[in-house]
Amino acid sequence: MGAPKKAGKRKQDPIIPNKSNKEEERVENVEELEDDDDLDENSDLGSEDFLATDQLDEDDDSTDDEVEGNNDVVDSDTENDPIVFGSDNDDEELEFESDSEEYEKDDDSVNEEEEDEEDSEAESDGSVNSKDKFSSESGNEQSEEEVRQPKTNNKSLVKSNKESNGSNKPARNVNKKVVKLSDHSEKNLDYGVKQNKSSIVNSGRNTSDPAVEKLTSNVDEYEQDSSDEEDIRNTIGNIPLQWYNEYPHIGYDWDGKKILKPEKGDQLDNFLKRMEDPDFWRTVKDPMTGQDVVLSEADIELITRIQKQKIPDAQFDEYTPWVEWFTSEVMKTPLRKFPEHKRSFLPSKSEAKKVSKLVHALKMGWIKSTVEMEKEKQKNKENKDFYMLWQSDDQAEEMRRIHKHIPAPKRHLPGHAESYNPPPEYLFDKKEMKEWNKLKSTPWKRKLHFIPQKFNSLREVPAYSRYIKERFQRCLDLYLCPRALKMRLTIDPASLVPQLPSPQDLQPFPTTMSMVFKGHTDMIRSFTAEAKGQYIASGGDDMTLKIWEIATGRCVKTVPCGGIIRSVAWCPNQAISLIAVAADQKVLLINPGVGDHLITSKTDQLLEIIPQSDVIVNERVRTAVQWEQAEGENWRNGIRVILNHFKVVKQVTWHARGDYLATVMPDGQNRSVLINQLSKRRSQLPFSKSKGLVQCVLFHPIRPFLFVATQRNVRIYDLVKQEMVKKLLSNSMWISTMAIHPGGDNILVGTYDRKMLWFDLDLSTKPYQTLRLHGTAVRGVAFHKRYPLFASGADDKGLIVSHGMVYNDLLQNPLIVPLKRLCNHETYNDFGILDVMFHPIQPWLFSAGADATIRLYT
Amino acid sequence: MASVDDDVPQIQIRFTTKQEQYAVPDYPLSVPSTVFTDQLNTILNELLRESADSTATVEFDFLVCNEFLRTSLAEHINERGVTTEEVVSVEYVERHPPPEPQDCLIHDDWVSAVAVRENWILTGCYDNTVHIWNTKGKHHLTIPGHTSPIKAVAWITLDNERATFVSASQDQTAILWDWNIRSNSIECVQICRGHERGLEDIAVNHNATLIATGSWDTMLKIWSTSVDDRNNDGESASKKLKTDHGKVRTPEITMKGHKEAISGVVWSDKSEIVTSSWDHTLKIWDTELGGIKHEIPGNKSFFDVAYSPLANALLTASADRHIRLYDPRSSEGSVVKGTFTSHTQWVQSVFWSTTDQYLFLSGAYDNQVKLWDTRSPKAPLFDLSGHDDKVLCCNWSNPKFMVSGGADNTVRIFKSKHAIG
Repeated sequence: MGAPKKAGKRKQDPIIPNKSNKEEERVENVEELEDDDDLDENSDLGSEDFLATDQLDEDDDSTDDEVEGNNDVVDSDTENDPIVFGSDNDDEELEFESDSEEYEKDDDSVNEEEEDEEDSEAESDGSVNSKDKFSSESGNEQSEEEVRQPKTNNKSLVKSNKESNGSNKPARNVNKKVVKLSDHSEKNLDYGVKQNKSSIVNSGRNTSDPAVEKLTSNVDEYEQDSSDEEDIRNTIGNIPLQWYNEYPHIGYDWDGKKILKPEKGDQLDNFLKRMEDPDFWRTVKDPMTGQDVVLSEADIELITRIQKQKIPDAQFDEYTPWVEWFTSEVMKTPLRKFPEHKRSFLPSKSEAKKVSKLVHALKMGWIKSTVEMEKEKQKNKENKDFYMLWQSDDQAEEMRRIHKHIPAPKRHLPGHAESYNPPPEYLFDKKEMKEWNKLKSTPWKRKLHFIPQKFNSLREVPAYSRYIKERFQRCLDLYLCPRALKMRLTIDPASLVPQLPSPQDLQPFPTTMSMVFKGHTDMIRSFTAEAKGQYIASGGDDMTLKIWEIATGRCVKTVPCGGIIRSVAWCPNQAISLIAVAADQKVLLINPGVGDHLITSKTDQLLEIIPQSDVIVNERVRTAVQWEQAEGENWRNGIRVILNHFKVVKQVTWHARGDYLATVMPDGQNRSVLINQLSKRRSQLPFSKSKGLVQCVLFHPIRPFLFVATQRNVRIYDLVKQEMVKKLLSNSMWISTMAIHPGGDNILVGTYDRKMLWFDLDLSTKPYQTLRLHGTAVRGVAFHKRYPLFASGADDKGLIVSHGMVYNDLLQNPLIVPLKRLCNHETYNDFGILDVMFHPIQPWLFSAGADATIRLYT
Repeated sequence: MASVDDDVPQIQIRFTTKQEQYAVPDYPLSVPSTVFTDQLNTILNELLRESADSTATVEFDFLVCNEFLRTSLAEHINERGVTTEEVVSVEYVERHPPPEPQDCLIHDDWVSAVAVRENWILTGCYDNTVHIWNTKGKHHLTIPGHTSPIKAVAWITLDNERATFVSASQDQTAILWDWNIRSNSIECVQICRGHERGLEDIAVNHNATLIATGSWDTMLKIWSTSVDDRNNDGESASKKLKTDHGKVRTPEITMKGHKEAISGVVWSDKSEIVTSSWDHTLKIWDTELGGIKHEIPGNKSFFDVAYSPLANALLTASADRHIRLYDPRSSEGSVVKGTFTSHTQWVQSVFWSTTDQYLFLSGAYDNQVKLWDTRSPKAPLFDLSGHDDKVLCCNWSNPKFMVSGGADNTVRIFKSKHAIG
């Protein structure tokens, strides 16, 4: 805030030289005193100036700028500061009061002390202006001082000016000019003008300062620098003096007459002068006028002080006690009465706009920072400044319109035949002419597209009649037929095949057919293996169940079942020897009588006793299934228990424990799935509602889950919680069969629409992989209990063995590698393989075919 | 001498033999490298005729690098990486004469077991009966007794008056029979009960005191062969009393170790048994200690094992078409010493020659019985065709007769005319 105030203060002084006669008179009166005052001030404050100069130089300038910029508003305010005080003009007063910057004017009377302090500070600041001129013209500097002098005496001045208030306003303009001049303080400022002004100013001010008056009389040193003399000081204007070196004169006077240079004298004169003149050592030449000037005592003192690097002013006390005007401590109340204007807190919007504009421009790259410019320059320097003028001659032209453009072939350069004066051999003879004419209908077959002609001079060559047409054709050709390089995707099909381990590394797996089990007379629909791996049982359309010895392929036993056997399942409980056989509407539990005799006999004993229960069987269940003890012939054949169902049973499957047996009747609607308990001879209907045509069901090997495959989806039910856990979406038309991995987390589903779906229950309800390995409906799928193998059989007689490794690591997805296709069965009634099964221990695979054979692959 | 062809490179050979009656002078001969066995034979016969006064032509087989020459000499040598620069030593042996089919014994069902001793042939049948035939093809006896197919039969003792033998069946028993030859009467001496599943193989030790049985219940059991029930110790006697029939015999030792069915049992020494199993291992048991001595892992299920004291080696038949030769003594390095491949289906049965350390017999599901020489791994010496169905068993206990039984309900007898013992 200091700087603008100062400016304001300084501008107050020129108020005094108003044009009113009254004032002028007074000025004249005080003329003498003023000098006195000046000196005093000088001695007092001049030294201070030097100290402050450097620090405040910039400050000062900025003040000036501000003053200049806001000429209309601020200037008027500041300048009129004292005037306002005494003015009767209400408007003016209002205006000032609203201006918070100038709060002192109200304080003037109150805080005189404060005012003074500020003044003195202002002075020290203001004195900067004179710094440049000091060395060259002490008087000049002084005049500057005088300009500022009035500040100290503001109050008195104001009072004295009260009478002249009326003429104040017109004087303002003049004052402004003065302020500008003094503030800018250019070197080549017209001395005369300044001097005059300052003297005027001084006179106006000094009248009411009695203290200064006293001092004036002591100083007469600058008497010589009277305003009269100053007129002739610089007669050449604002040009270097040496321009006049070759002329005898220097500048012109008012009348346009040359002013002659003072006599210089020769070397001798100089010498004599040096010898005789006691003041010679202090005589210097004024570079501006070329006149000798004798330096006064004060000047010399000043110079010597400067040389000693002391403060030029002898009177300056370097060790004045420090007065802390502004304490470093935070004061409770501000120095000023008014709070800071809101404007000072708010960021300028217009500036923000400007800045944002700049930032945007920088971002967009419209303007560049100096660093960037420098970089660009550097780059440009690195790049060659020259370029190929005919670049397109040997280089493809960059075409914006067409990517990877191939330029059109260039026209051949004209040869001799095109010449206006070709050698005679190029001219057509009769034969050539004949040939030319012959090819009239097929002009593109001609060797040349024109007839070479001979002219005596180039002048006689007529205009080429087809020029426009040909050029146009050429341009059209170039435009309409752009030649571009077409990108063609070249992918090696081998690289798209996923990296699978070689089947060699995945051994053992079945590779060759080792045995054919012959004996059935019709299609074999289903088979099952004993847990020990010594026997298998199979049944099919010939309505018999056959037990086979695996090692020799011998049919050990044949049990007539009285119905088409659609499904057989060996009881997984090794403590009992039972095979469940679905023969039409019956499910037979047959004791095959092979294996451990003890177990078979115990099984018989167990099944002879019919457990009695007083539980009343639900009507719904009772109509669905009835348990019946086999007797007579059936018993002798090995049949122990018969379950009479109300519909054709398509599938039987055991729970891993071997007590529960699930049967599937696809036509049973909401009673299509039955769970039978062997130990209690009881049946249950787990589902009350039909979810669709049930194809097959499966028990989870470990958990109490039941997988129910309908036509399109597989539902997983928790039998303990009695709820559906998951629904697997097969995304196929008709599920035929399914198998569960012994780990229980992966399910393989075969469909009639030729797909095999591998579901990873941990991953999602959608298939982890869909295998389209078969050409026809998949009828059987199977997992191996121990080896990472699975197999599938289809109507196309193909039996496909695949590696299906399930990792314990949850992060690793199952690895599925199709290994081998075995095709040994024969087609029968468009059926191929109807069921597939692995040996429970060995890596051997069985397939049951429609050709009434079972084949063993090892 | 050999017809010399200028275009063909010549190889220097030298004839050697271990059969002294056919010795020829030991000097190198130059023969064309494309020479075959036939040509070598004529050369050798010429040489013999020169050196000796015998005029009969003898068929020889030629061993180069310890393997029979089956291709041309150059090819054979190249395969084995022997240099042709030096003199190649060619050993010759008299060719094994081809066996001749002698007889066909017709049964009612599959013949799954056959055992020969002297002139008697014992066969086990899938119709639960055991039959005794003589080598002339005369059927002597049908012995019913078992309730399930017979899987193995073995002679224990045989003299002019009496004979004892044992049969093992899938009905979980082995029965000791006493046969009075004169009166042609049979008596069931003992019923060996103890196995929990069907028996697979049976073997009698060298001095006919012990029987070893292997079964589907993974156990190896050793039984006494003594006909007299009283030489059982008191404990067995007391047990015997509890059982209904007085003829039940309990095992002397039960040895557990296999994970799956034992398919073949053979005594390799006085107190050493070798068993083959479906769990892909061969195990060598010590009967005195009652435990496993050594284990040889394979990578397929074994179906049969045979041991020859002459060759001191094991032959195995497994669930592929190869016959493998194992050295039971070696434990490091490649355990399989040789693989014999010619069968096209599972080999079900192997039997060593009792007189020759190189010869053995094999029967497979490709309806073939083959006579092999261990020095010729690629091809058998002879194919003994005749069976119309799977060959389930074979026996060559009597060096004169190669007997095999099969699923075509027949036992085929081939006469082996081996001149030199």
